[in-house]
This record gives sequence, C-alpha cells and structure tokens, in this order.
Amino acid sequence: MASPHPLQPDLCSDHGGEHPTIWDLPNIPLGLKQEWLNLETRRHFLGRGAKALAWAGLASILGRSLPRALANESSSTPLLPHFAPKAKRAIYLFMAGAPSQFETWDYKPGLSSMFNQDLPESVRGGQQLTGMTASQTRFPVAPSFYKFAQHGQAGRWCSELFPYTAKVSDELCVIKSLHTEAINHEPAILSITTGNMFPGKPSVGAWLSYGLGAINDELPTFVVMISKMPIQVNVQALSNRLWSSGFLSPEHAAVALRSGSNPVLHLKDPPGVDRSVRRAMIDGVNDLNHQLFDRVGDPEINARISQYEMAFRMQTSVPELTDFSNEPSSTWDLYGPKAKEPGTFAYNCLMARRLAERGVRFSQVFLRSWDQHNNLPTNIKILAEDSDRPTQGLIADLKRRGMLDDTLVIWGGEFGRTVYSQGTLKPQDYGRDHHPRCFSMWLAGGGVKPGISYGETDDFSYNIAKDPVHIRDLHATLLHQFGFDHERLTHKFQGLEQKLTGVLPARVIRDILL
Amino acid sequence: MIFYSKSLILSAALTLLAFHPRLGAEPATFATRVAPVLEKNCTGCHGKDKQKGSLRLDTFAHVMRGSDDRVVVKAKDFAASELHRRITLPASDEDVMPSDGKPLLSSADILLLEKWIAAGAPATEPFDAPALALTPITSSAAPDYRPRLAAATALAKKLGIRLVPRSIVPTDGLILRTASAPTQCNDAVLAQLAPFADLIVEAELARTTITDAGLVSLALCPNLQILDLTQTAVTAQGLGALHPLKNLVVLNLTNTAANQATAASLKKLPSLHHLWLFGTPADPVSAKPAAAKAK
Repeated sequence: MASPHPLQPDLCSDHGGEHPTIWDLPNIPLGLKQEWLNLETRRHFLGRGAKALAWAGLASILGRSLPRALANESSSTPLLPHFAPKAKRAIYLFMAGAPSQFETWDYKPGLSSMFNQDLPESVRGGQQLTGMTASQTRFPVAPSFYKFAQHGQAGRWCSELFPYTAKVSDELCVIKSLHTEAINHEPAILSITTGNMFPGKPSVGAWLSYGLGAINDELPTFVVMISKMPIQVNVQALSNRLWSSGFLSPEHAAVALRSGSNPVLHLKDPPGVDRSVRRAMIDGVNDLNHQLFDRVGDPEINARISQYEMAFRMQTSVPELTDFSNEPSSTWDLYGPKAKEPGTFAYNCLMARRLAERGVRFSQVFLRSWDQHNNLPTNIKILAEDSDRPTQGLIADLKRRGMLDDTLVIWGGEFGRTVYSQGTLKPQDYGRDHHPRCFSMWLAGGGVKPGISYGETDDFSYNIAKDPVHIRDLHATLLHQFGFDHERLTHKFQGLEQKLTGVLPARVIRDILL
Repeated sequence: MIFYSKSLILSAALTLLAFHPRLGAEPATFATRVAPVLEKNCTGCHGKDKQKGSLRLDTFAHVMRGSDDRVVVKAKDFAASELHRRITLPASDEDVMPSDGKPLLSSADILLLEKWIAAGAPATEPFDAPALALTPITSSAAPDYRPRLAAATALAKKLGIRLVPRSIVPTDGLILRTASAPTQCNDAVLAQLAPFADLIVEAELARTTITDAGLVSLALCPNLQILDLTQTAVTAQGLGALHPLKNLVVLNLTNTAANQATAASLKKLPSLHHLWLFGTPADPVSAKPAAAKAK
C-alpha cells in the first residue's frame, strides 16, 4: 500500500482509517509532521503491549537503546562542506594512556639541573592535585631520562626515543599547549574522541562521516584499529563508545578491524554458500526490514539495512584491502618488519595508509600502555621502539605518494603527565601522574603548517604560558580542515543543535594552518 | 620521490595578486574588504532594489542606520550586533541569514566582519583584518554548478562514478570520484563527461582503467586543479595531452609510466605546484620545481 504522503509510513490497523490526520492539514511544516511521526511511533510502541517485548528484543539486536531508536533521525544523505576542504581524510594515531610530554615533545632543558628538587610552590599556585599523588609529602622534579637533539631544517628538539620520527620532524606541527578538563583516562579519552566526557556523543570520525559521506562505498567511512601492545601495563579498556555514532545514524559509527589475521569476523561465506545465495539471503532480510520500516518508521531499521549492504560489499573489498602481497619492498623498509605481523602498530599504520588510499575518511589507530605511573623510563622506551619507525614510515609513505597534503595525521594521547615524580624518584626510574593542564600532540599534513611548534608551557610544563589550545579548539580546527565551520556542523537531538565542540567557545587555530 | 613545494607561498601570493591586483596593495577598509562581503551575501535582498525588513546593506551609511526598528551593527561589540547574530546562527534556524537556504557566510567572512565591528566599524579608516587566504587551489573558480548539478549527478550515477560538489559554494566546482568502483571508470566514461567538463575541478582516477585516450577527455576540463592518476596505464607520451590544463595545481602520477621527459614537459604547466612521481621511471630523478619559475 503506497503512502499518500512522502514522510508518512503505512500505519498499523490501530491507526488506519483515522482520517483526517495531521498529514492532511495544510501549512504544517514537514519537520513538525516528522516530529509527530516520532511521537506517534512511540505511542504505537507503548500501545502494543505484548508485542513490545519483541520490539525491545529487536532494539537490543540493533545494539541501540529504545529512546535513541525512537529519536528523530534525518536522512543519511551526507551534507556538503561549508567551504573547499584541505583534508580528505585523517589518520589518528591515538596513544592511549597519555604519553608524558617531558620525554617526547615538550623539551625542558632547565629541569636537568633540578633533579629531585621540590616543585616550587609558585608554579603550582595551590592548584588541586590528582588523587593518586595528592598524599605525597614531596613533589620532586623528575627531568627527562632521555636526551634531546635538534633535527631537520626547523631545528626541532626531538627526543632520542624517536630517532625515526625525528627524520620527519620538518613535516610535523607540534602543539605543546593542549589542555583538557578530565583528569582520568575514561573521561579524558571520551572527551578527546567525542568532545564530551559523558558517553553517548558521536565520535569525531562519526561527525566526519555524517558531514562528508563516503569516498568509497565499498568500505566503511570510519575505521578503528586497536594495536597489539609490546608491553601491558596500566592498560585502559577501549570500547565502541569511543567510536560510536552517538545520536547520529548508526552507519556513521566506526567498523573496528580486529587485530588478528581475520580483521572482520564472519565475512567469508560459509562452505556451500556462494555469492548469489548470500545476495538472495540479504535481499530477503532487507525486504523484511523494509516491511518493518514501513510499519513502525524507525530510521534505525534503514541503518541496519545499509549495514547488511556494507557487510556484503566488504566481502569483496576487505580481502583486497588486507592483501599486502603487492606492496613494494620499500614499504617494509619504511614500516619495518613488524608491519608483516597482523595487529601490530606497524601493521595498522600500513593498513591506515591502504585505507586512506582507498578513500576511508577516518582511521583511528589505538596504541595502549602509555600510562606510566611508575617505571616510566623503561616502559616508554618499549612503546617508542614499537611505534617510532612505523609512525615515520606512515608520514614518509603518505608524502612520497602525494597523499600527505590532503591526509591529516594526528598523534597524541588524552592528557599530559606531571613534572614531579609519582613514587620514589631515582635517576633512572620514576613515574609521572596524570596532568590535564598541558600536554603535547602533533599534526602533520592535511593543510597544517609543517615544521612548526605552537603554544608554550612554563619551565615545568605545568601550566600553559602561551597560546592555550583546548581539545575543543583541536576539534574545531580538525573540522575546519575538512571544510566545516564547527558551529554549523550540527544535528538536532533532544531539542538542541548538537555539535562536536559543544556549547562552550571553541576556535580554529588559524596560526597553524597553511 | 619528487615534489615541488619551494616558493609555494610566494607563488601562491603571486597567483592571488594576478587575480586580485587591488587586494595586495590596499589596506583593509570598509570599502575594500567589508563591502564586497556584504555585496556577495546580503545586498540581493538588502540593497538598492530590494529592502527586506526595511534594511539596506549596500552603503556604509545604510549599514550603520540599520532597519526601521533596530540598529544591526553596534560598533566595537560584534556579539551584541544583530547582523553578527543572524549570520552565525545554525543553517536550520529560521532567523539565519542569508535566508531561504542560500549559502551561509564562510567563517573567513564572518571573522572579517567581527574584526571590522570590533575595530569600531570604521567608515574609511583601515582596520586590522585577517590576511587573505593564500590558497592557489581555490583561486580560480568554476562556473556555478547549481543549474547543472542534477543532470551531472544523474549522468554520474548511470556511469557508475560520482560527481559531487566540493562544497556548498556553487563556484567551488565538482569532484569526479571513482573510488567505489575504480575499474568501472574507463576512457568511454570520461568521454561522456564532456557536458560537465568545465565544472570538474578535481579528478580522483587512481586505479581506474583509463588510458591515454582518457587524458584527451581530461584535457577538456579547463578548471581542473587536482588530478590523481595513480596506478593507471597512461603512458609517458600520452601525458603530453595534459598541456592545455592551465589551472592544474596538483598532478599525482605515482606508479605510472611517467618518465623524465614527461616530468620535464609537464613542468611547463603554468599553475602546477606539486608533481608526484613515486614509483615511476622518472623517480628519483629530480625535476626542477615548476613553482619556482618566475610568473
């Protein structure tokens, strides 16, 4: 039965024949009618009694809460950038656990002469400490165990932990003045991945998918890879709340590639099922889903249909993607031998380049274990050795293939670490507590000025001395490189024009842009 | 690996100056910077011919007068200026300006108006305006895509490719996109795009099955700025067909048969800033940067 109105689904018998409805009234904006449809759908659900249980079952299959399933959701047609983008895609190397800025990108030569002296009270100025070190009687300054040297034409001071990355230091824009509110991992990681420390908001990659749509329909727009760890100390749990679509349509959530030899489970057709049988099965399921959508009008059903279609397409696109046999030998020289081992950070960096080549908008590679409350000098070296070469390899590879100009590479964690040692300070052993007041990240490519630094911290990297960059500013800048004014990339939910940068002021860091 | 980036900023500036000879020399004032923004975005409805809401924005006096019932620019306080409030609302707000779904102001234009108001909204005195963006890639505009977008989209769909606007700015042109099914894009497909050749500013043709014949079609895209031919079967001689592309800024020939002679001859393209030759017979021979040439 065809609906006489474009937005009106055919309703069940408990609504049939109740004409005229609001749909027949002239001069009512379509948006209001859509809202009515949602309310009506909800009433429909509540009124179905016994069948509601089945409905709830469906919602849980879809992995969504009912209120969200019933929320307003517009068409998944991508928007258009507000202005011509500089970046087409981004690769975010997420160093979960928060690497110390002192041993990496915020060189503080003055600290070496202050070993084991107490942090001057004037620096902290009575600011609150985090729970893990607040009970310490002393706050002894811990200089970096690792040495720094100048590299590149820009003469950037690079840590000896990153001998490879130092070779591409002229490609990097290091921001030393990031800051965030959160002092613990979960809220901090959520803040930097979704713009909000409470779960339920769309991730950066989901916003990009929502705004830009796919370049390649055969692959997901947003991909997450969690790397095998070379060491497992203070490991943070990661889950799909960090790469969810929040209140955006579910197809904008990331597909997480597994860190084994089989990146997407159940993708291969089982024995005896050929491609046409699979196609017929999906067509049948889609047909049932379309019927359900026609009855209840839940946009999540359409999202599920598109996910079945994506999975079907990935059956052919993923094997090609993960077949590294056509890589030239120079690839392995760049990324190192570990890139041949599925699931390593090196493998994921190479995969990120292959995804970028094929048009995936946003790849987020997680590497965990940077949460070095103790044994920092030993453990940070293990992680640096695991990640340094492939990081440089990725930058150099994108560059030589002409892809760095329109691929934004981001490196960093969720907050910084303290200048003072957590626990006992020895010349070769110390730890550092969480520190949200300043931390360092770097960007490369994607229309960001190469070979510069932005922002400064005080002599103890305790507070920001110049050009603070809130993570909201980072988000606004990222969206800007993709052609979006962060104030105008919005989605209506719960009566608000929601946006990645939230309601507090955010600015695009124009000084770092080409 | 060979790439050109020397003198990028300088040549970008020169390119810009060539297009807008006035802009580099004159200080930022209402007349040189603010009025053009208002003219582009506002005066169609708030000007000499039409005064919606009794508001005109086509002269300094009119801007400062405001509408019959309110002032729209409060000097030194853009946050309290109605003009600023209207142009920064979300696109879905019924008060947003420009109205009726017309393109909103760019953030650069908004910033400019903010700077002008914050400086006290001077009539003729210069104010501290943001530098003009030096973006050679957008310096030459394509024709307005709006009248032909529906037809272009339909044709692309039929051909198994995509033609998508680069942004909501109608003169930003269309991107030819093939990544979903690169092998479906061949010379015959490119030949059929002729009716929209002037709208295409960027062509993503990596891993497609195009050959030298396709390059002849591409040479008919006068506004093409970015061309990716990575891993295609184009030949060193065939690439010579690209010489009419006066606006080409970026050319990616990674994993093609481009040789030293190709690279040398492509250097003659007047706008070319980046030529990528990784995995070609021309790599690692260094070509002289085209961008360093005097313009």
